[in-house]
Amino acid sequence: MEQQAIVVENLVKEYPRVKAVDGVSFSVAKGEIFGLLGPNGAGKTTTIRTLLTLIKPTSGKVTMFDVDVTRNSETIRRMSGYVPQDVSADGELTAYENVLIYAKLYDMPRQERKKRIMDVLGYLQIKERANDMVNTYSGGMMRRLEIAQALVNRPKVLFLDEPSIGLDPNARRIIWELINRLRNEFGTTIFLTTHDMNEADILCDRIGIMNKGMLATLDTPEKLKSSVGGDVISIGSPAQDCARKVKEMGYNIISSAQNNQCDIVVENGEATIPLLLGKLNAGGIKVESVSLKKPTLDDAFLKYTGSRIEADQGDTFQSAKRARTAFRRFTQ
Amino acid sequence: MNIFRALGKYIKSVLVIAELELRKIRHDQTQIWIRTVQPALWLAIYGYTMSNISALSKYLPANISYLQFMTPGILAQSVLFVAIFFGITVVWERDLGLINKLLSTPAPRSSIVIGKALSAGVRGIFQAITIVILALIMQVHLLLNPLSIIGLFVIIVLLGMCFSALSMALAPIFKTRERMMGIGQAITMPLFFASSAIYPIEIMPSWIKPIAVVNPLTYVVSGLRGLLATGDLHQLPLDILVILGSTVILLILASLGFKRLAT
Repeated sequence: MEQQAIVVENLVKEYPRVKAVDGVSFSVAKGEIFGLLGPNGAGKTTTIRTLLTLIKPTSGKVTMFDVDVTRNSETIRRMSGYVPQDVSADGELTAYENVLIYAKLYDMPRQERKKRIMDVLGYLQIKERANDMVNTYSGGMMRRLEIAQALVNRPKVLFLDEPSIGLDPNARRIIWELINRLRNEFGTTIFLTTHDMNEADILCDRIGIMNKGMLATLDTPEKLKSSVGGDVISIGSPAQDCARKVKEMGYNIISSAQNNQCDIVVENGEATIPLLLGKLNAGGIKVESVSLKKPTLDDAFLKYTGSRIEADQGDTFQSAKRARTAFRRFTQ
Repeated sequence: MNIFRALGKYIKSVLVIAELELRKIRHDQTQIWIRTVQPALWLAIYGYTMSNISALSKYLPANISYLQFMTPGILAQSVLFVAIFFGITVVWERDLGLINKLLSTPAPRSSIVIGKALSAGVRGIFQAITIVILALIMQVHLLLNPLSIIGLFVIIVLLGMCFSALSMALAPIFKTRERMMGIGQAITMPLFFASSAIYPIEIMPSWIKPIAVVNPLTYVVSGLRGLLATGDLHQLPLDILVILGSTVILLILASLGFKRLAT
């Protein structure tokens, strides 16, 4: 059997007023890119931080390469690299110094240090600017530096909390390529959290959908999408009883009446639309819009959690972006 | 043997954290120069003016001018004023996420706290040097010999560590930069005035004297004054002991609270 990098059994983390993680179990294979997908407050960051020994679980068992997270935190830390969601590169130092400090904190032998730092900076394509102050870096470069800091120790498992948050599309693509290369070339196990469907879809081998502290489902992006069961037709209608009528006609509704819209799943979307419209017209239901799409991760998410990740999740994106901008402004 | 290795690792991690902080200062030395403005004003204006008040001289140690008396006080003050706001940087780093990342390394929490405090202490040395030079330019007679200079450095490092540890102990409680700024201002002046920094304890209002006795800054000033002005060292061991004790206690408190800075 393939060795498991991470095994989580029945993890619970309770805070005085809220159960952040409520009985989560999963395992991550060695060399896998594993993602936890969910909205803010779903318990993703709490899970990641428990794995990193930063938070003590209330109950449950977590092991990383057969080492118990609660018993041997130093061993765990030595084999992990962590890129937090927030800015974690120090703007008041050069990129080289930023990585140097981490190399030293992980007890890297002095003889190897310089070479390995330059290697990792080269790998992330910021070598030419190694001696520039980090507060002159763009958001994407800063993110790459943060990953460099986490990689210099050659971790067995790299933890990325919202890896591309606050970055522009181009910088995101670079980060995604990098994460893929890392796994392919070095077999690094990668554990990431995201609320970005696209990121999860493109990057992850397997995705755990997390909601309200629980793991709703866990599978490959392809299976998650196909589990939706076919094409998704969204009907926009001002009629109050539209959803009820559609249901009566025997269609499979996956969500209803959000902003006068209901989504149904059918096997052959193209052929169904004219039929459906005819029936609705006959039933006296006014239809304002109809759209057809192939199932996305978003639909799978909807299916398993009963809600979408709302657009205001962009808040985190905005605040992260603001933090990065402010950071550069204040420290320059 | 294992204990020594563990201790060696621990010390190394303290030094790496201190190095991290000191590298930042090296990149931005302006902050050290800006910090000399205030003590310069205290010495040149306040000190000069007070020297002309002859009534004061009878309370001073024999053969000591007011500027000689005051220079150690200003030294202590300038290091205190910087150290007491150290927690603001910690809160700022927490808001950014730097603290989270540091906490995920194998470095023990307390070594992060001690390393940061140590950097505040070492930074104090640079400030002390600029103020001593300033005092010499103003022709204040200071006792400078290898012993007094070593003593000065030891006390200044402890002073910087002591009050930056106090500030770091407060950071997890107050958690915002604004509150840390407020709390810093609220405690520096009482600490400063309830010490013998700019006047002898004997002429303080009587109700404040008990505060001066438990104020670590009093012992800092007393130690520095013995080393640099009067040459009277019989109280020095007690002074250093009190400062060391306060520093250790505050470092422990700061270490205990530091984990709460993780977000």
